[in-house]
Amino acid sequence: MEASRQYKSRWGRARFGGGPALLIGLSVGCGVLLSAGLGALFGLLVAQERPVLVGLLFGVMTLPATCGVFWAFFVDRKTLQGATEDPEASIESHWYDRAASAAFTDLLLVCGIGATIFSLTRLTANVGLVLAGVIVVAMADFAVRYWSIKKAEG
Amino acid sequence: MENSLPEYRKDRGLSQQALADLLGVSRQTVISLEKGRYDPSLPLAFRLARVFGCRIEDLFTPGAEE
Repeated sequence: MEASRQYKSRWGRARFGGGPALLIGLSVGCGVLLSAGLGALFGLLVAQERPVLVGLLFGVMTLPATCGVFWAFFVDRKTLQGATEDPEASIESHWYDRAASAAFTDLLLVCGIGATIFSLTRLTANVGLVLAGVIVVAMADFAVRYWSIKKAEG
Repeated sequence: MENSLPEYRKDRGLSQQALADLLGVSRQTVISLEKGRYDPSLPLAFRLARVFGCRIEDLFTPGAEE
């Protein structure tokens, strides 16, 4: 275990080898490429005015998320400082499963009630906004449930 | 389920963090196990028994309601 600690670092190392610098560089590089692509698409398809500026802003706004996604994809979690070796056996995983299960049930209920209301009242809404709302509700519900389980049992 | 994890751990001079590192789980997991708030999976129970050099039945016993 002592030997394995020597190659652990705050940002970890890539699954295919190399140091933390390679992992960060690769994650940022791929993130920049993906964000540039997303920005170009958004600028071309959505922006009514100043597509270059809008696309650039969109790309910059998505950059932290895309870099994070690539880092999470490339990193070997065994090389992260402080990461547990068997997270599935930890109680946090147990809390996660329970919170996710309960949030899924809540989401079915919310979507069912929402669909009924929309059907009966013949309301119309932007699909993108409704889906974004569903995601926000799901995330908030999960966070509250996880926190309450942790507080009760932690 | 009741357990005698705190006694076994203290007998071996291990801190909760040291035991967590040996098991490959978080310290919170050890805390919850010792308080009886978390029943471990079978693989984790076997790992605990291996760490303490005893049988699973020596560590865990069914509670009164079971």
